[in-house]
Amino acid sequence: MPDISETAPAAEPPPASTTQDEALRFSAIATGQKFELPVLALQNLNLFPETVVPLGVGRPRSVAAVEAALGTPEKLLGCITVRPERSDDTDAKQADLYDVGTLVIVKRMERLPDAMRILVQGTERIRVVEWKQEDPYLKAVCEVLPEPRIVDGDQVEAAKRNVQQMIQEALALLPNIPAEVRIAVLSSVEPVRLAYFLGSILNLGVEEEQKMLEANTADELLRLAHNNLARELEILQLRSKIASEAQTEMDKAQRDYVLRQQMRAIQKELGEDETGEAAEAELLRERLEKAELPDEVRTEAERELKRLERLPPAAPDYHVIRTYLEFILELPWLKSSEDKLDLGEARRILDEDHYGLEDVKERILEFLAVIKLRPDTKSPILLFVGPPGVGKTSLGRSIARALGRQFERMSLGGVRDEAELRGHRRTYIGAMPGRIIQSIRRAGVNNPVLMLDEIDKLGNDYRGDPAAALLEILDPQQNNSFRDHYLDLPFDLSKIFFIATANQLGPIPPPLRDRMEMIRLAGYSDREKLEIARRYLIPRQTTENGLNQAQLKIEDEAVERIAALYTREAGVRQLERNVGSVARKVALKIAQAQAENVTVTANDLREYLGPPRFYPELARKELPAGVATGMAWTEMGGEVLFIEATLLPGGRGLTITGQLGEVMQESARAAQSYLWSHAADFGIEPEIFKEFGVHLHVPAGAIPKDGPSAGVTITSALASLYTGRRVRPDTAMTGEITLSGLVFPIGGVKEKVLAAHRAGIRRILLPSRNEADVDDIPEDVRNELQIVFVSNIGEVLDAALEVLVANPPPHVVTSDSARGGRQPEPEPLSVKG
Amino acid sequence: MRNPNREVLIRADRQVIPSGRLWNPDADVYRAKEGWIVKVDLAGICSDELEIEVRDSLLSIRGCRRDTHYREGFVYQQMEITYSRFEKTIQFPSTIEGATVRQDYRDGFLIIDVRTE
Repeated sequence: MPDISETAPAAEPPPASTTQDEALRFSAIATGQKFELPVLALQNLNLFPETVVPLGVGRPRSVAAVEAALGTPEKLLGCITVRPERSDDTDAKQADLYDVGTLVIVKRMERLPDAMRILVQGTERIRVVEWKQEDPYLKAVCEVLPEPRIVDGDQVEAAKRNVQQMIQEALALLPNIPAEVRIAVLSSVEPVRLAYFLGSILNLGVEEEQKMLEANTADELLRLAHNNLARELEILQLRSKIASEAQTEMDKAQRDYVLRQQMRAIQKELGEDETGEAAEAELLRERLEKAELPDEVRTEAERELKRLERLPPAAPDYHVIRTYLEFILELPWLKSSEDKLDLGEARRILDEDHYGLEDVKERILEFLAVIKLRPDTKSPILLFVGPPGVGKTSLGRSIARALGRQFERMSLGGVRDEAELRGHRRTYIGAMPGRIIQSIRRAGVNNPVLMLDEIDKLGNDYRGDPAAALLEILDPQQNNSFRDHYLDLPFDLSKIFFIATANQLGPIPPPLRDRMEMIRLAGYSDREKLEIARRYLIPRQTTENGLNQAQLKIEDEAVERIAALYTREAGVRQLERNVGSVARKVALKIAQAQAENVTVTANDLREYLGPPRFYPELARKELPAGVATGMAWTEMGGEVLFIEATLLPGGRGLTITGQLGEVMQESARAAQSYLWSHAADFGIEPEIFKEFGVHLHVPAGAIPKDGPSAGVTITSALASLYTGRRVRPDTAMTGEITLSGLVFPIGGVKEKVLAAHRAGIRRILLPSRNEADVDDIPEDVRNELQIVFVSNIGEVLDAALEVLVANPPPHVVTSDSARGGRQPEPEPLSVKG
Repeated sequence: MRNPNREVLIRADRQVIPSGRLWNPDADVYRAKEGWIVKVDLAGICSDELEIEVRDSLLSIRGCRRDTHYREGFVYQQMEITYSRFEKTIQFPSTIEGATVRQDYRDGFLIIDVRTE
């Protein structure tokens, strides 16, 4: 360390201060003097002369530098800033430091647990002449630089005043500056000192600060300070302007708020708004907090609620959002009902509600058993197909009762807009959720039994195809996140037990049909109808018409007659209506005190119901040649029909009447061709085909008929016509034929057989491949019937015509050889048990 | 390198105090019948390294305090005494030029007797 006291004040210090015109050896170190100093590398910070700054020193090398300085009599230290390009955290190399820094006196030092705190006072600017060492601390030979020179005193003074002016302005915008800083800044009269102070206090960045430190003239230094301060002030003013604009804006919001509050107070006074939308939003929030919702739904609901709170109640969106939120809150997102899993009880309930329908009950019990063993099973999707009035809807209700689930029913008849199922987007005015989601809300749980009634009556038009929407709803793989357009949130439909009903399978699109498990409910037999009437219809109608069980009795025979002569249906709806009519008439009698109790017999029916309304096609006692009894399937169940054929002498070809469809007409042509080609086998004169035309008619003429299943009947009628042998009048038949003479199976066996049985027929011809369907026929009916299975036309004619054909064509017989060696027998096979 | 994202105009973390070039010892000034008595809190200085200058109504004291107790092997634990060059300028209400200035060094104080009479 140099002995400063020995330094000759050779060079005149710059004439910055008028009090220093004489060289005074202690006031300044001579410019250009060189001495060795420990150096402290400063990060992100510049030190200026004429400032006192506290510093934290932590790095071992910096601590060593400070300690070296403290070990000298004068405690002098060089402070040099690290160039900003350096970004890593290692100790800076010599080359990383600027050349120009500040000489400081360490005024105070205190030790902290792992660092030291020093207070330094900057005295002169120094320049590194030569680096001496890097470790254990930086050490360099430094040269003292002169104080910045004043070139143009007026200009410096002007700049200084400007700077002070700007500082005034800046301080006005900065309310949090400590008082001592204000005083220090404003009372500082030395331009250089003021500039250095600004340099250290403004956040300019190392580069800019270094520039100020390296300025050799006061003019340059003040210019830099001025420019930097001007820029800062501009930023500050801009910021303050933005802040004040925001303030204005906020004031406007505040004003609106106050006005709104006043309006609310007025409304309250007028009694117009007692709850207030704030209370409403609050109420919704409370409900939202209590509600059990999936996370995704809760997030969405909260977002909507926030929007609601911001809107005035007069805004059009307000009610839309409120309705939406209420809807979300009402939906049973996570609420399920507990299933009753007592199979015995379920069986009892099903039996109590419905007579018969064993298949269906069995299926439901199977499902219950599966749920019992594996509770997370997906609910099945059932499809009940059957004629009206057979109890499809009430069966759904009863399933719900047996399972202990809620029941909801929605009719799809006539629905032709996809949006009815899936809802409308909320952007539309009057948007509503779809019917599915609405039904769930009504049910109040997410696992109801949901009945989709009349699924075969779905329409579709340019607005979309609702059946396509049902594809998603009824797909167990997809419906766990069904998105209603209105909700726009996924809802889990997979727990719902869907039951669809339909009268016909045809109109249901195949992909939709494929998703459901079909259960057919055929019509009831007369015996079943009687049983149903006895158990359910009569008691119900009795009660509904204000009678008690003792006052009205309807004899079984009367019920059977109502079913046969006053109704024509597979179900029991008309039967019930007629029972109801009887009950009303009886009620009238009892009310007029003409009787105390009434027993209705079959003979009384004319009195109660008028003359019979239907004369069912009863089995004709005798059939002329050319007429055969067939069976048909209709939506109302089955029916018996007659096929009549007659020869037209001199006529040509085949005339077909009776509203027959194309398929049926083709059957007729096939039958005729078959008989023509095998005329010899059946003992038919081939000339007859050429000489006579044939007219085929199927009454009733007004009812359209179609389908291939009349093939067997037409063949029998034609064979009878050509051979002159009559068809047995006690026999009805059905089956499709081929040109090679085979008999193919047909559908609706149960309905057809029941209809034939109702008509009094006791002998039935069925295709052999329909043998399995016979199991569906109620036992009591089956026991009264003789059922003949046929597999080719030869067998048909053997069984149908009164005079047996001697030798059936051999090539036809072969087709049946696979069937367990059962030979076509002239003797009809009767099925019993 | 200016950081465009910096927030504050004035860095609160820089507790910078503007100062003179050198440190200033504390001083009391008494008014006596004969003139002024100035007492400067300046312990541990050597009178060789002291300059007193009178100029108009100003009295300037400059010098250098050196740490003479430090020995090889010492480690500073705490330092509160400021060393190195100092400067003190006292302004009087009237000129003191031509007055008799005497200095005395007693009990760690530098006493300067300025006799104007």
